Amino acid sequence: MSKKIRLLYMEGVSPLRSQTVYHAVAYAMKEDTPNTIIMVSPNGPYVSIGYHQDIQKEVDLDYCTKHNLPVYRREVGGGAVYLDNGQLFTQWIFHKNDLPATLEERFKLYIDPIVQTYQSLGINANHRPINDIHVSGKKIGGTGAAQMGIAEVLVGSLMYTFDKKTMSQVLKVPSEKMRDKIFESLEAYMTTMSEQLGSTPDRAQVKDLYMKLVSEALGAEVYEGEWTAEEEAMAQEIDARFTSDEWLYQKGRLQQQGVKIHQDVHIVEAAFKAQGGLIRVIARLREGRIDDVSISGDFTLLPVFAVGALEQSLRGVAATPETLKSKIEEAYYRLSIQSPGVTPADFTTAIMNAVTPPQPA
Amino acid sequence: MIFYACEIPEDLYYDIEHDVWIRFEGDIAILGLTDVAQTRCGKFAAVSFRDVGKKVAQGKTLATIESAKWVGPFPAPFSCEIAEVNEAGFARDILLANKDPYGIGWLVKVRPMNLEAERGHLVTGQEAAEKYKERIKELKINCLRCID
Repeated sequence: MSKKIRLLYMEGVSPLRSQTVYHAVAYAMKEDTPNTIIMVSPNGPYVSIGYHQDIQKEVDLDYCTKHNLPVYRREVGGGAVYLDNGQLFTQWIFHKNDLPATLEERFKLYIDPIVQTYQSLGINANHRPINDIHVSGKKIGGTGAAQMGIAEVLVGSLMYTFDKKTMSQVLKVPSEKMRDKIFESLEAYMTTMSEQLGSTPDRAQVKDLYMKLVSEALGAEVYEGEWTAEEEAMAQEIDARFTSDEWLYQKGRLQQQGVKIHQDVHIVEAAFKAQGGLIRVIARLREGRIDDVSISGDFTLLPVFAVGALEQSLRGVAATPETLKSKIEEAYYRLSIQSPGVTPADFTTAIMNAVTPPQPA
Repeated sequence: MIFYACEIPEDLYYDIEHDVWIRFEGDIAILGLTDVAQTRCGKFAAVSFRDVGKKVAQGKTLATIESAKWVGPFPAPFSCEIAEVNEAGFARDILLANKDPYGIGWLVKVRPMNLEAERGHLVTGQEAAEKYKERIKELKINCLRCID
């Protein structure tokens, strides 16, 4: 690519604008608009939800109201996320023909300079296809893509810090146990520049580094440009839409399973009513295996340590009915477990209901 | 025609730029994503349709598709009025278009409003097959379908 790329550097804009700027540049794009990269950071915290999410199902609105956290629906997919000044969003708004045709190649082009920026800072980051960035199995930011008007958009961030505690608080979850599991999993599977380096790197240095690496990756000059009057007018229009109840509370259609921590890690939850009582399961799945599981409910399981032993025995086990049942039966035999009205098959069903929720009839 | 595992039925019409197929049935046109488009899009995660009865100009959005990695419009190949949407189908199985893009995975049925003036870019038969061969080579893709 030989065309020049305009950079809009916008540290410290309002939370709303940190979302609407890239929509505005995209929707205002004309044939002669330069490909644009926006580096933007909000001056306060907020929650961003995915295009097709249902705000009332996904976000703890009482918590957000109490803590003055606005919620905005973006036109990019995925899940709800808590954002603040600890992330520098890198948003590409490009003409279709200036990006690779396939999403795999498109994400690679977009992610490589972010990975190289981290590597230049001494962080051993790598691209986890299709669109995650990892450091030793921990995620350091996700990315997304969308088409808006004639523009193709790629979004992601350079992660200085990430408030995992508040992230786990803003989600609407069925139980506090599930919330604890989400927080624990974010601690285990997410990282930031500050965690990796022991301090937060200089933001101006990160910006310059990223600009240089983007320029090299795209073979194009990157220049600091101006935000146009048309883009401002479009941003005002989108500001109004994004703060309207009609937009924010629109019907959610996203069919998703549990909470995604990163490409390979999900937290799932389910319950199953067995003859001897209700079995509740919260499981963390990693690459199709049980990474961690909590079992609770109003059933009786003896000896008293049997629940903990059962949970322990399931770690690392493939999340398939056959392997789970066989592992549970083995634990029953080994520990002489007694469970009136509850069988290994019931525990298997409860876990499998979380892994692959039963479809409504 | 099947080329690099991409099926391009020659009895359909195509808006190649937008990767939309069209089956004309009386005064109705049934529209969907081509095999190439559903492959590029990836597994569907959600679809939102515009309302039945809505008039949509050529190139504007009939539905918005969210896949695992991308969100984007399903555009109208010509100006039309929406007659029916496959909302119930996708509510039952969100992967319909990934499994059967030319059958039960249709997206929208429309009544064209200005077809004669706006159909110049549509291709069918051997011409469509040849143009898609070029496009598939250019995109360097192999089509994939979901089984379950």
